[in-house]
Amino acid sequence: MPFAALRLPVLTALAVGLFGRATAADKPPTPEQVRFFESRVRPVLVEHCTKCHGEKTQRSELRLDSAAAMKEGGASGEPLLGEPAKSMLLRAVRHDADVAPMPPKGKKLSDAQIADLAQWVKMGAPYPAVVLKTHDRDHWAFRPVTRPAVPIVTDPAFPVRNPIDAFVLAKLRAAGLTPAAPADKRTLIRRVTFDLTGLPPTPTEIDAFLRDDSPGAYATVVERLLASPAYGERWGRHWLDVARYADSNGLDENIAHGNAWRYRDYVVQSFNADVPYNQFVREQVAGDLMPAADATTRHRQLIATGFLSLGPKVLAEPDKRKMELDIVDEQLDTTCRAILGLTMGCARCHDHKFDPITAADYYALAGIFLSTKTMDSFKTIASWHENEVATPAELKCRADHEAEVARFKWQLMALHWRKATSAVKSARRCAAEAIAQLEKNAPEVSSAMGLTEGKVVDSPILRRGSYLSPGPVVARRFPTVLAGEGQPPLPKDHSGRLQLARWLTDPANPLTARVMVNRVWRWHFGRGIVGSVDNFGLLGEKPTHPELLDWLATEFVANGWSVKHLHRLIVLSSTYRMSSAHDSKAAEADPANRLLWRANVRRVEAEVIRDSLLAVAGELDRTMGGPALHHVKNRAFLFDHTSKDLTTYDSKRRSLYLPVVRNHLYDVFQLFDAPDAAVIHGDRATTTVATQALFWMNSPLVMSTADDLAETLLGRTDLDDAGRVRTLYETAYGRPPTAKETARALASVAEFEAALAATVPESGKRRQRAWSLVCHVVLAANEFVYVR
Amino acid sequence: MLPHLLSRRTLLQQSALGFGFLALADLIAGEAHAADTDPLAPKKPHFPPRAKRAIFLFMKGGPSHVDIFDPKPLLDRDHGKPYPGERPRVTFAATGTLLKSPWKFERHGQSGSPVSELFPHVAKCVDDICFIHSLYGTNPAHGGALLKLHTGSDNFVRPSLGAWLAYGLGTENKSLPAFVTICPTLAHGGVNNWGSAFLPAACQGVPIGNAAVPVDQAKVRYIRNATTTPDLQRRQLELLAEANREHLARTGPDKSLEGRIDSFELAFRMQSAMPEAEDISRESAETQKLYGLDDPKTAGFGRQCLLARRLSERGVRYVQATHSDAAVQWDQHSNLKRDHEKNAREVDKPIAGLLTDLKRRGLLKDTLVIWGGEFGRTPTVQGKADGRDHNPEGFTVWLAGGGVKPGFRYGATDDYGWFAAEDKVHLHDFHATLLYLMGLDHERLTYRYEGRDFRLTDVAGRVVNEIMA
Repeated sequence: MPFAALRLPVLTALAVGLFGRATAADKPPTPEQVRFFESRVRPVLVEHCTKCHGEKTQRSELRLDSAAAMKEGGASGEPLLGEPAKSMLLRAVRHDADVAPMPPKGKKLSDAQIADLAQWVKMGAPYPAVVLKTHDRDHWAFRPVTRPAVPIVTDPAFPVRNPIDAFVLAKLRAAGLTPAAPADKRTLIRRVTFDLTGLPPTPTEIDAFLRDDSPGAYATVVERLLASPAYGERWGRHWLDVARYADSNGLDENIAHGNAWRYRDYVVQSFNADVPYNQFVREQVAGDLMPAADATTRHRQLIATGFLSLGPKVLAEPDKRKMELDIVDEQLDTTCRAILGLTMGCARCHDHKFDPITAADYYALAGIFLSTKTMDSFKTIASWHENEVATPAELKCRADHEAEVARFKWQLMALHWRKATSAVKSARRCAAEAIAQLEKNAPEVSSAMGLTEGKVVDSPILRRGSYLSPGPVVARRFPTVLAGEGQPPLPKDHSGRLQLARWLTDPANPLTARVMVNRVWRWHFGRGIVGSVDNFGLLGEKPTHPELLDWLATEFVANGWSVKHLHRLIVLSSTYRMSSAHDSKAAEADPANRLLWRANVRRVEAEVIRDSLLAVAGELDRTMGGPALHHVKNRAFLFDHTSKDLTTYDSKRRSLYLPVVRNHLYDVFQLFDAPDAAVIHGDRATTTVATQALFWMNSPLVMSTADDLAETLLGRTDLDDAGRVRTLYETAYGRPPTAKETARALASVAEFEAALAATVPESGKRRQRAWSLVCHVVLAANEFVYVR
Repeated sequence: MLPHLLSRRTLLQQSALGFGFLALADLIAGEAHAADTDPLAPKKPHFPPRAKRAIFLFMKGGPSHVDIFDPKPLLDRDHGKPYPGERPRVTFAATGTLLKSPWKFERHGQSGSPVSELFPHVAKCVDDICFIHSLYGTNPAHGGALLKLHTGSDNFVRPSLGAWLAYGLGTENKSLPAFVTICPTLAHGGVNNWGSAFLPAACQGVPIGNAAVPVDQAKVRYIRNATTTPDLQRRQLELLAEANREHLARTGPDKSLEGRIDSFELAFRMQSAMPEAEDISRESAETQKLYGLDDPKTAGFGRQCLLARRLSERGVRYVQATHSDAAVQWDQHSNLKRDHEKNAREVDKPIAGLLTDLKRRGLLKDTLVIWGGEFGRTPTVQGKADGRDHNPEGFTVWLAGGGVKPGFRYGATDDYGWFAAEDKVHLHDFHATLLYLMGLDHERLTYRYEGRDFRLTDVAGRVVNEIMA
């Protein structure tokens, strides 16, 4: 597979400010001038001029795509810019009599556009430099991944358990910082249990860990968690953020993705089975094109391609060609951001301004998706393709049904051969009716959103993204900056998706492994080694620990792209096991904890908040998998103009099994920063707003959890009240209360009981209500939703 | 125990005395923590604002401009004939010949602005109104048009106009959200139409109900506790604050933990400020009548308009009121005569009531009122004789108050009202203009996300200076 060999950077940054007027010479344009140029001038040049006077073609030896070229002018030798009255450019666009009118063939610019150009020339024609060109392959993320040497460092208080610790410690040392002491066992098991399973540890699990004095006690916990089905539910949910997974289309016509759950379950199963990440990616991009040994594998691979079909689509777009291109754009952008950390979307309309991605790169890749069939019909309301994934039982049922229909048809035919007596006529009617009935009730077989091959085409470059202005056709291929020039052509009889899938997961691809290990790191530490997890381009953030990132990437690939191997490396490291203890010196030197001098204090995510509430109430239903939507059929409206969304969220199952309704996300999730699932979200925000506090104060979910907790505690007749407070704290926070906290809780129960005397006459009820009020406070507190 | 909390509590207990005390409580609360972490802290605009707050009266669907504010005599003359010009390349549905308006127009006020008999009350306010007759968008479908109108984009998830205003200006009243949307429609983009996308979450609109909920039952989510009395809840919050402070002491200084402690106090204030703002029973009978609350036909939208005024005067930066029933209300592909009459009847008096009320309270001069739908309707007939299709190519919106020329008309559609023809105003231009009126430069109001500076107006937008007073 072609990967561009590392080249020395060829600096093609254009000199800034070669302007017509002597006075303005060599002065960089002011921000106002840049703004004016980018909003008023460059669009005009790109749309009307540079097709003939640009990089590819230079009519009259003239180019208008850089300051230098403009200054040089064209074959006539006349000054292009200079004094507005004499400027060749302005005379041409004004269609002055003595010059060739531009743009030609009567396509005159509007008065406003001409006025803008005149104003620009008058300013001295400031032309902001295009800083980056396609040769900028020296960007760190485009360089091949290396296996860096592991620094040799030791610290008696910070055992270097694996190279992660060595890389982190070396950076801390260099900054004069020391790592925090290890977290205590209670803190650690709470942290790792939330991280790996998204659930709080139970008091029993905590006790077992506390009692285990063996050196492998922590590793035992980690293995237990990684083997738990809850692991795949937790980490599958992370991937679903990247895959913008949703159970409805959202956008304009909010109809049900009735079979999307199959993809969700595929993701959960893949994480639980530790499916190698390279295989996981290939299945999602081209599972339908991969060989399969059996029907189960075949179905799994077909379901995986749902990844590319799950995006929001404007299903009532009246412009059908635009709809098709928008869908391709969404697929292309999602694939590139999710797997490569590259924002390709910009190149739909113009060469990427910041990354070395050209519009030609974009349309070369778009050709692959245009040659793929995602939609069965673009007619309003457009209809996405689904692949059949029938079970043997369904197949048998269908075969039986077809045999039944055939039998009646045969009978009917036989009846037609007989003389039409009234008995025969009646029998014919019966048979015909039976056939009609049967055909109406044909058994449904399972299907899954996904892809299949379409008509193979190469796409033209579409200027400004519009199909109404097609440019030259580009052959399907991968982006030059990564795959190099002279790539072998993609097959004429296939979309090229299979080749794309292989290229994405080629160990020589500099981005795929880096992007994934960084995602895993982000979900463990709250921040990636590269902060901009979905953008590894030139405007993305630089890695805080580039060598560590590369070491992890090589380790990942060398260990068969095993995600669980990555988890073990990370959570068993001393780095992960540090406490979150504050250190004012370190906080001053590195306030954002970029160098990892302590563990980050993190609020748990929306799903974890809900799951934790149900878990501590003892109400969590651990049933796995299955359909998400029960009240609407596949492709039916979740809600249309009515605004009446009948989706309910009263299930007690884990949050990832609740419907993800775009445009009207479950309000608890929306409140706590769960994404709307319209675009990829490798990184979730954590906001703190007053409407969240209202949820903690007043929502039925929190209130009922407090009631359930109180009921459970009071049902524990083996405990006294102090024992109940202890159980409450251990259940909610994974630790016993302090003496002060016990005293406060008991006093509060008494105080609330007294306050309720007038309104709740029955003492048992009053006592339960008082305990519920105390439980409510415990749940609403920071400690319940923050992991240290 | 916690002197600073208790003293605030004493203050809050008096909040029933009214808004002034809440504002005072805000002042005190403001001292507790620096504003730098609060995305809604009041910010200085780019230049002196003409309007300090805005109210958007959104007509869900497409009010027919050629039947309301943009009369076309040629439709009368050429009724039943084919449209002589070139139709848009993409249309939502097929339409037939030209259709004259079933309603009569008259010129009103000093300005002589034409208004059809559909809006007799608004007609009396035309001298306060600045019409833009030449707005145009790009998308002829509800979903795309609604998203474009609210977020500037019909194919990406982008922050909504209200969220940009909240982000750019912050809020003066910390007991209420910066952006409230009353009875919004969940269809056609739903939450994205009041969402914050990549802007800080606090900038998103707080919905009061939705289009399927009668306005008198619409409430902010979780604003009330069904079982715990305010006294007990206050005691709970004290216990909570104590536990949180102990936790914070163990953890060390942490902005997000501190922020969460504050958020409970804020929520407690919102719990009393929101119902107070929503309590329209405090308005005089005369005011209620002005908004049409005494008539079941106008009571629904009248209540929305009155609520909008109350929220607005309490410092909510941007209030949207949506006129929609559980269908797309302004969408007369058929039954134009019957249903446009019904729709207009429901909003006409409340809108005029709001303008009159704002004016007499001296609020209109720095409050921007915006009226409009997703698009207009075609001059040609859809169906047999009584319907019009979506038309994003040219339609009317209007502004009032907040520094726009009163009694003014800007731009024009062509002779039949299909395309914007003179002084065209694209939706991006419209957004740029609204931001300008609020004191924000649309090219400077940016947010860096995924390595790029994003704007409400993408890479376009021209401020329509011609309509400034």
